[in-house]
Order: sequence, then structure tokens, then C-alpha cells
Amino acid sequence: MNVIDIRNVVKIYNDSEVRVIAINGVSLKVEEGEFMAIVGPSGSGKTTLLNLIGGLDKPTEGEIMIGGINICNLKGSKLIDFRLHNIGFVFQSYNLIPVLTARENVEFIMQMQKVPFKIREKRTIELLEAVGLGDRIDSRPSKLSGGQQQRVAVARALASKPKFILADEPTANLDSKSAENLLDIMLKLNQDENITFVFSTHDARVMKKARRVITIEDGKIINDEKRG
Amino acid sequence: MIWSIAWKNIWRNRVRSLVVIFAVMIGVFSGVFLVGFMTGWINQRIHDALHYEISHVQIHNPDYLLNEEMQFTITNYKKVEDFISATPGIQSFAPRVKVFGMAQSDWASSGLIIKGIDPERERTVTDIHKKIIAGEYFEDEKGLPAMILGSKAAEDLKLLNYEITEEKLGSFDVNLKKKLQSLSGKRYRTRKEFEIALKNVLGLEYNKKDMYNLINHFAFYRLRAKLTVTLQNSKGELVFETFRLKGIFDTSNDMFDGITAFVRAGELKKALNIKETDYHEIALLAKSRNDAVTVASILKEKLPEQNVMSWKEISPDLSYYNDFMKILDFIYVGIFLLALSFGIINTMLMAVLERVKEIGMLMAIGMNKVKVFIMIMFESVMLTFTGAFVGMLISGILIYHLGKTGINLSMWAQGLEAIGYASIIYPAISFDIYIGVTLLVIITGILSSIWPARKALQLNPVEALRTE
Ligand SMILES: Nc1ncnc2c1ncn2[C@@H]1O[C@H](COP(=O)(O)OP(=O)(O)OP(=O)(O)O)[C@@H](O)[C@H]1O
Ligand SMILES: [Mg+2]
Repeated sequence: MNVIDIRNVVKIYNDSEVRVIAINGVSLKVEEGEFMAIVGPSGSGKTTLLNLIGGLDKPTEGEIMIGGINICNLKGSKLIDFRLHNIGFVFQSYNLIPVLTARENVEFIMQMQKVPFKIREKRTIELLEAVGLGDRIDSRPSKLSGGQQQRVAVARALASKPKFILADEPTANLDSKSAENLLDIMLKLNQDENITFVFSTHDARVMKKARRVITIEDGKIINDEKRG
Repeated sequence: MIWSIAWKNIWRNRVRSLVVIFAVMIGVFSGVFLVGFMTGWINQRIHDALHYEISHVQIHNPDYLLNEEMQFTITNYKKVEDFISATPGIQSFAPRVKVFGMAQSDWASSGLIIKGIDPERERTVTDIHKKIIAGEYFEDEKGLPAMILGSKAAEDLKLLNYEITEEKLGSFDVNLKKKLQSLSGKRYRTRKEFEIALKNVLGLEYNKKDMYNLINHFAFYRLRAKLTVTLQNSKGELVFETFRLKGIFDTSNDMFDGITAFVRAGELKKALNIKETDYHEIALLAKSRNDAVTVASILKEKLPEQNVMSWKEISPDLSYYNDFMKILDFIYVGIFLLALSFGIINTMLMAVLERVKEIGMLMAIGMNKVKVFIMIMFESVMLTFTGAFVGMLISGILIYHLGKTGINLSMWAQGLEAIGYASIIYPAISFDIYIGVTLLVIITGILSSIWPARKALQLNPVEALRTE
């Protein structure tokens, strides 16, 4: 089953004098359980594509179906609620609320979903243990390394039980060791729990771990390679 | 959860938040305290006016009010008295004879309103007996009829004299004593004269406040002095009646103290040649200030041939004071709230702009606008509330304390007394104003946070997250 089904998507930025065609007719299907990287040179449209899939931005043309729902038709708080319940996000940075501990950051999203306290508490600890932070649950983000912070972000993204997780250059601010470590954790979650990941990256070593790599250039998919 | 995030967010910038909390605290404190101070002041002014001068209700023959001639006494006085005694809600009342007379001491003369009273009954209505600053209130006198005179009137009649005596020099330092001794034995009849004499021996540059105290130290009232009062009797003839100065009262209101004298009603009646049951005025106290209006309207109905007035009619300015002060309170509180709201808007705008990325991230992952709005609102409400709570506590305690001990303004009291204000203020605040001011502060906090909170809502998560 396709969790993501994009059809002929075009995104044109039309502000001021410049007219930028950031995405130029992209169609793409992602199935449940995929571990997919989006690569391409700077300015090729990776972030734009992820934002469109994540419902953070609207396409100029085309349809974006998430779990069978065309999110282009969702507006305002309906769209925000859709994101809350269906999509997990990991950003490059500023993922966490600095005044909350790792545990509270993970719990927070489930609270917004009105998950009962008991379940919330149990799941939070399980998730933080799964990303290897069982011993740091009560640390604030400022007391964690960049890699650890990104792992909390992954745990937080998983907490809402989304259909898939979108990560725009999650390793961009990490050293290679932390980057590899983060990817290993993501991969393990993908293999053990069948969690779907879609992420963008510049990093060749990160790319290597992906089981499907999509290359875009000038807003077009120029290569779609599936591995083992 | 949003509560606790908001509370934690406040402490991200500890100094800034503390400054705001402190400002709110000072604002609430000064707002509540100022209102309390004003209220105390006005209460005092009204209390004094009611208990020394006008009482709660006055009854006259209507003609007496039109032209204050002494033949217009209260008709059927006995009947009126019986009526009053039978009316509920009245605490006490006292009848008076009231005439205008020209008083003459050995050195000066001055016009006076002379109130002929029954001292014991008068005690139950006015508190003049508590305000005797020299001599004493009426008590079985012998010889000449006694008069109790206002301090300012005594001064006008040159009955406030100044003399340097050995006894009063007692503990002065040797140097000053020597200088002052050169003036001893001489009696000065006016303050001015004495001041000039003092300046001559002490030098012009002598400290003003010390001079003031020095003059007061050597002042004394010429008790037992004779005062001859010229009156018109019931036949229209001028008569002279001599009184002996028995006591001086000082109510802190120069206007009243400058023109009022009390004598015994019986003696005044004899001089005026009017009947034992003739009175010009009945002053009465209701159970409370607010009952006065009701009591007055009952009496008005029962005593149609008399003129009955409550204190609000006798002295409308007293109730105007009240209203006027309320308006001032509002203006003050309004200005303060305006300043407060600018402070909060500024702080919360900074707090929002500092956290653009974070708020953008929260909206991206699924925090809806209502929650973002509430989070920002909570922050400013908590900020304001913390300050308001502390400010309220401090001002409440202070007002409670000072309401008992009073605030002594005697340093500036001279000027105040001239316009009828007492020099010790007992701040008071009613519970509803106390709560009202505090609520206004909190409402201001909420309203001021709307703009910054809306600013947060306008953020586009994509834009917010993009910029590095
Ligand atoms: N809000 C915008 N307004 C105008 N142009 C935009 C906007 N956002 C992106 N673009 C343009 O769209 C194109 C694609 O940008 P995008 O950020 O998606 O690239 P990217 O592949 O993520 O690049 P990078 O690897 O540097 O992150 C670029 O040419 C960029 O300048
Ligand atoms: Mg990008």
C-alpha cells in the first residue's frame, strides 16, 4: 500500500520579480516500510518536496495523497491536525522545546493527541530507550549532544504513531560518527518496526544506508534507484 | 502541559521576566495604595466634617435658613423632639441656639457664630470635647458664663500670645537660652511680632523649621480672658454679654475654627431674651453615615413644617469630593494600566520573536493555533499574575497596618489644615476596589498579550524553519 502518492506535482515560487520552478512535475509513490533518501545538489528542490509531502506547503499543481487523502484540500486546523496524527517530522535543527526534558518533549506530542497518561508515560520511555537514550530521559536539550538531540527528535516523531517520518537533512549538523549512529537507529526502527522513513541528505555515507535513493535536479526526478 | 511550558518559558529570560514582574508589582502596589490613601483621606475629611461641624442631619425652621434671625426658632420644639426620639435609626441628637455675634477681647474683635448648647447632649453628637487643645470643655463653671472658642478665632482675637518664660526655657542649650532670655518678660500678641523679635536675637538665617517649632513652644492661649459679645436680642436691641474663655478647640479646619464658639444654651437664651424651649437647630447622628439620607427623608415626611437636611444636602461638596476622588483614582489607574500594557506587549513581542523557529517547529509538528495562542497568553498572564499577587499582598498588608497607625502628614499639615484636612491619614480600601484593581491588572495582562500572541499565529512554519 502506498503511504505517499504524488502525482504531477509542480511548485512555483512566484514572489517578487523572480519566478522559481522549485518542483517541476514530480510523481512518486512510497510504500509502507520504505527507507528512502532524496538526494541532489543544493537548490534542487529536496526541502521543497519534503515540505509538500509534509503538508507544510501547498503545490501549485498536482495532487499529494497521504494514506489515500489528498492533503491539498485540507486547510487550517484540519491540516495541522492531519500532520499531528499522520506525519512525523525531524528537522535539521530546532527540533525540541528547550525548556522541556527529553521525556517531556516526547510526551508533549502525545499530549496534544490526548493519549492517556499511563500509555504516554510507558511509550515515552520505550521510545527513548529504542533510540539509545534510556539513561538521559530527564536531560534538557541543552545538556545533550547534537546527535542525542536528533535522536530525541526521532523518538518524538515516532511517538505520534505517524504513517511515516519525514526528515530534512537530519544529519547535516552532526559529525560523521553521530550521523552514522542516527542512521543506524533509524534503519533498525525501519527493519524491526516497519517504520517508513523519507529523508533528504547530502552525505554519501548516509545515502549508502538507504534502500531506495531518489535523485532530483532542477525540480525533477532524474533517477530512482532501489537496492536490496 | 501548556501551563507548565508557559511557566518554564517565562524563566528562559530570567532578568527580563523579573523586571516585568517587579514592574507589575510596583504598579499594583502603587495603584492599590494610592486608592487606599485617597479613600482614607476623604473618609477622614468626611468624618471630621460630620463629627465636628455638620452632623448627619440638621433640622431648622425654614425661615431661619432664609435669613438667620433669631426669632425663627423651631416651632413646637417639644413635639419635634418627641418625634425624633420615636424615629428608628437615630443614634443621638442635640438642640442648639445659634446666633451671630461680634466678639471683643481686650485687643481685637472678630465676628463669631455662637452656638448655645447643652454640653452633655452636644457630646453625644459632636466630638468637639475631644478636640480641646487648651483649657477644658464645659464643666460646672462658676462666675462668668464660659465660652469654648476655636483656635483660629482665638488667634484672631489676639488670645494666642507668646512669651519666653524661665520655665519654658528649661532644657535649652546655654547659648540659645542666653539669646532668648533677652526677650523674656515681654508678651507678644501676634505670631508676626514674636517672629520678628526672635529673628532679631537669633539672626535671619535661623532654620525655618526650628523657628516654627520655637514659636509654637512659647505660644499660649489666654485662658480665662474676658470676651464681650455683642448680640441682638429678641426685641431687636443690642445687648452685651461677657464670657470667660474656658477652652480652645482645634478641629484642623481653619475655616470652622476661625468662626465658631460654644457657650451654654441657657445663658445665651437669657441674653437673647428667648424662651427656654426655643432652639434654632437640631443636629443629629444616624446609626451610620449612609443611614442619614433615609433618616432625613423619614423626618422630612413627619415634620413638614421644618426644614430637614441630610449631610449630603448641607454640604454637597463633601459627596462631590468622594466622586471626584473616584474619578482621579480611575485616571491614575488608567495611566498605570496603559504603561503596564506597553511593557507587556514589548516583553511578549520579544519573547515571540526570539522563538520564531521553535514556534514554527511546534506548528509544523501539529500544535494548532489555539494551543499556540493559549501558550503565549498563559505566559503573559502568569507574568502579570505573579506581579499582581505580590503587589496586592504588599499593599494589602501596608494599608491594613497604616490604617491602624495612620500616616502622619504634619510636616505639610499647615497648608492642609487651612483647606480643612486633618494631618493624619488612615488609608482604607474596600475589598471590591482591592479586587477590582487587581482584576484590571490581570485583564490588562491578557489584553496586552493578544497582539504578541497573534504575531506568533501569523508565523508560517516553513519560513520560520527555513532561515538560519
Ligand atoms: N520561499 C521561497 N521563495 C522563493 N524561492 C524559494 C523559496 N523556497 C525555496 N526556493 C527556491 O526553490 C529552489 C529549491 O529550494 P530547496 O530549498 O527546496 O532546495 P534544496 O534541495 O533543499 O537545497 P539545499 O540542499 O541547499 O537544502 C531553490 O532555487 C530555492 O531558491
Ligand atoms: Mg534543503
